[in-house]
Amino acid sequence: MKRKSLFFVVMSLFTLLSLGLSACQTPAPIVAPPAAQPTATTPPKAAFVPTSVSAPNCDYGGKIKEIAAVDELTVRFSLCKPDPAFMPKIAFNPFNIQPKEWIEKNGGGGELLSKPIGTGPYKLESWNRGDSIIMKRNDAYWGDKAIAETLVFRWATEGAARLLELQSGTVDYITFISPDDYEKVESDPNLQLLHAEIPNILYVGMTNTFEPFDNVKVRQAIAMGIDRKRIVDHFYPEGSEVASHFTPCTIPNGCDGDPWYDFDAAKAKALLAEAGFPDGFKTKIFYRDVFRAYLPEPGLVAVEVQTQLKQNLGIDVEVVVMESGEFLDESNEGRLDGLYLLGWGADYPHVTNFLDFHFGKDNKQFGNTHPAIYQALERGAQIGDPAQAVAVYAEANNAIRELVPMVPIVHGASANAALKTLVGAHIPPFRSPKFSIMDPGKDTIVFMQNAEPISLFCADETDGESLAACEQILEPLFDYAKDSGEVIPALATSCEPNADLTEWVCKLRAGVKFHDGSDFDANDVIASWAAGIDAANPNHKGNTGAFEYYSYLWDGLMNADE
Amino acid sequence: MSTPSEPPSPPPSLEDSKHTTEALNNSFQDYRANSLWRLMLRRILRQRSAIVGGIILGMLILVAVFAPVLAPYDPEQVLIGVEPVRKRQSPCIHLLGCPADQPQHWMGIDGNVRDQLSRVIYGTRVSLFIGFTTIGFAIILGTILGAVSGYAGGWVDNVIMRLMDVLMAFPSLLLAIAIVNVLGRGLQNALLAIAIVNVPIYARVVRASVLSIKEQDFVEASRALGANPFRILFVRILPNALSPLIVSGTLGIAGAILEAAALSFLGLGAQPPTPEWGSMLGSERNQVFTAPHLVFYPGIAIMITVLAFNLLGDGLRDALDPRLSFNKPEQTL
Repeated sequence: MKRKSLFFVVMSLFTLLSLGLSACQTPAPIVAPPAAQPTATTPPKAAFVPTSVSAPNCDYGGKIKEIAAVDELTVRFSLCKPDPAFMPKIAFNPFNIQPKEWIEKNGGGGELLSKPIGTGPYKLESWNRGDSIIMKRNDAYWGDKAIAETLVFRWATEGAARLLELQSGTVDYITFISPDDYEKVESDPNLQLLHAEIPNILYVGMTNTFEPFDNVKVRQAIAMGIDRKRIVDHFYPEGSEVASHFTPCTIPNGCDGDPWYDFDAAKAKALLAEAGFPDGFKTKIFYRDVFRAYLPEPGLVAVEVQTQLKQNLGIDVEVVVMESGEFLDESNEGRLDGLYLLGWGADYPHVTNFLDFHFGKDNKQFGNTHPAIYQALERGAQIGDPAQAVAVYAEANNAIRELVPMVPIVHGASANAALKTLVGAHIPPFRSPKFSIMDPGKDTIVFMQNAEPISLFCADETDGESLAACEQILEPLFDYAKDSGEVIPALATSCEPNADLTEWVCKLRAGVKFHDGSDFDANDVIASWAAGIDAANPNHKGNTGAFEYYSYLWDGLMNADE
Repeated sequence: MSTPSEPPSPPPSLEDSKHTTEALNNSFQDYRANSLWRLMLRRILRQRSAIVGGIILGMLILVAVFAPVLAPYDPEQVLIGVEPVRKRQSPCIHLLGCPADQPQHWMGIDGNVRDQLSRVIYGTRVSLFIGFTTIGFAIILGTILGAVSGYAGGWVDNVIMRLMDVLMAFPSLLLAIAIVNVLGRGLQNALLAIAIVNVPIYARVVRASVLSIKEQDFVEASRALGANPFRILFVRILPNALSPLIVSGTLGIAGAILEAAALSFLGLGAQPPTPEWGSMLGSERNQVFTAPHLVFYPGIAIMITVLAFNLLGDGLRDALDPRLSFNKPEQTL
């Protein structure tokens, strides 16, 4: 009996000890495969067998007919129709390159979402979900090596929390400073305010399939009845501009054509009366409560528009805040039966990124599309030289002004902040900060953004937080210069088009190695693009499977089911 | 030494006894008319918390009634172009050193460049209206359901009370959010939602009182005299069940104001530009460090109002609950 008791006591102690030990153990982080390991076991490289991805024909409506590896360091893009924005587009980060073997091993999903293998200046060390992402310097990087050995990504939703962390010195760089905090940052001797010049637009949208917005006079009245300068002066930080056109003037051809209407309440009221609404009408204004550079304080701007429309036109507007995802779905599908506040930040530096996306033939966002606008845009998309496209884009912009599918309000300024000790801190106009060229004066840079990345397979992500992390690890064929939208070589050294801009032959950089030690070649480019753009490819899986940027920048996915 | 004894009083005459009976009758009538309320008032006046709560509430009611006189601006008036002010400007009080050439705003300017003091003052109207209407509705419906349930008993009681149990099984705020999501956001629907989630509380209180009172002798007597059930329930039983209802109603108003503020904070209750404290808090919640006055004043207003109702409710409970008054020594001022 005594022995039995002793046995139970020993067993209980053992169990308790094991439980205690397991409780104390920190959860195992997601660790990327070590860089050197695969090279040791990689078999000698077989002869290069070029691959390709193609659509049977161009009937699917997309822009890309075929992407083929010509040799180990040459890739050819064959297009269905000319695309003057081809170069800026392929420099966009969702079109980054990962090893063919890694994509195939994971079937386009699985560990690709959390363990990217790229060629960038940093490689993934670990992703501690809900806490941080840790990256280490890629010592085999083809370009200038990163200055700081370690890069840590953290996140906090509230702007006040981010600023507190920066002030206390626990992080080196934070995103999206509230305009009310500018003064605080500027007056702090330990901090630096980094003004962003990211091209963007905030607009008041209307869907012309709903009354009374089907009447162009009502839309014009609203265009003239909103005092946009008052909005910019009181609700936007310094550096923001009243929008003279939908596209910011920093983008070539963006500001061709007549500027937008001046504020004229009397004329607006008269137009509304002509349209049959002398005493105004009742409607709603929808928005999502999400901070963006073009809309730093959504609620305030919505109430201001509400106030102005009541004051200037007698329109009773109910303010409705919607969940972000639902709001985007409803507005994109043209199902919002009132006004709505939405904006756009540039993905790549070309006028098509603003105009074609919003006013193209198939966009239902503003209701029925206008041939006067989209036909001009279709002609503009055939012209490579911006100087030659001036007349066409002036025609398109004037048609937008006349038909008022929306009212452009402001090109918003925004700012990030960093410790003064972070030398080289910057915000590029396109893509995210390049931390590899920043010097913190220590081993580690800690960056804090406003949300955790959704996944690190950025071919199938659209949120800026995921892209910011991907951009440190993964590289596309080209890049944008730090201070401008100029396209500069990255994994490709050049891309040459044919005469009618329907074929681009790209030369790849030699001697580039992935973080797992494998060599970069043309088949990696084909595999990465095929996973994104070819709906029938076995690796076309991703996170959501939508591959939105592939779909919308190249006018659709090839080999998709009807 | 012996004291002189008083002469024995003569036996009362018939006339005297008539007068005495009349006097007794009159005093009994007076007693019936006044004593219950006087007794209640006297007991309430002995409760310190009830007096403090009552005074604060009285002041809040005055602020709500005289809001157009007290508020220096229209609560929805945007001051852009009217005064040289900017959004979220700190409070400017001339007496405290704010330059005289600057317009005076005691509680500062909000994010949409409106006078915060005027919005807080008008917010009193909205909050008191929410408290009284939601709890009034909940009490009326709860009383009817509870009274019918307690008096009828049997399957009627079972059906009504199980329904109330189901409603009470949900956390009240979550249930209110769910109801608002179904009905659509807005102050009216928020009021309805808050009223609905409060109904079971009053139904239970009334049912319990009815169950205990309906067995008492005076009810039996009414029944024996042939009074109809409706009269017995609403004339005999319910007036005697009022005390617990008043107490829980007063405390319930505080809860209703908090729930309405929570719904508005989440954007489900009052919609812009209505000056409601919860929505004022919600729209400026991110400015807690940069413009603390915009969250401080609406927060304080909610706290004071809820405190007033809680103090009054506690005092009323102590004054009106006979069990408490027998067991506890009465507080005096």
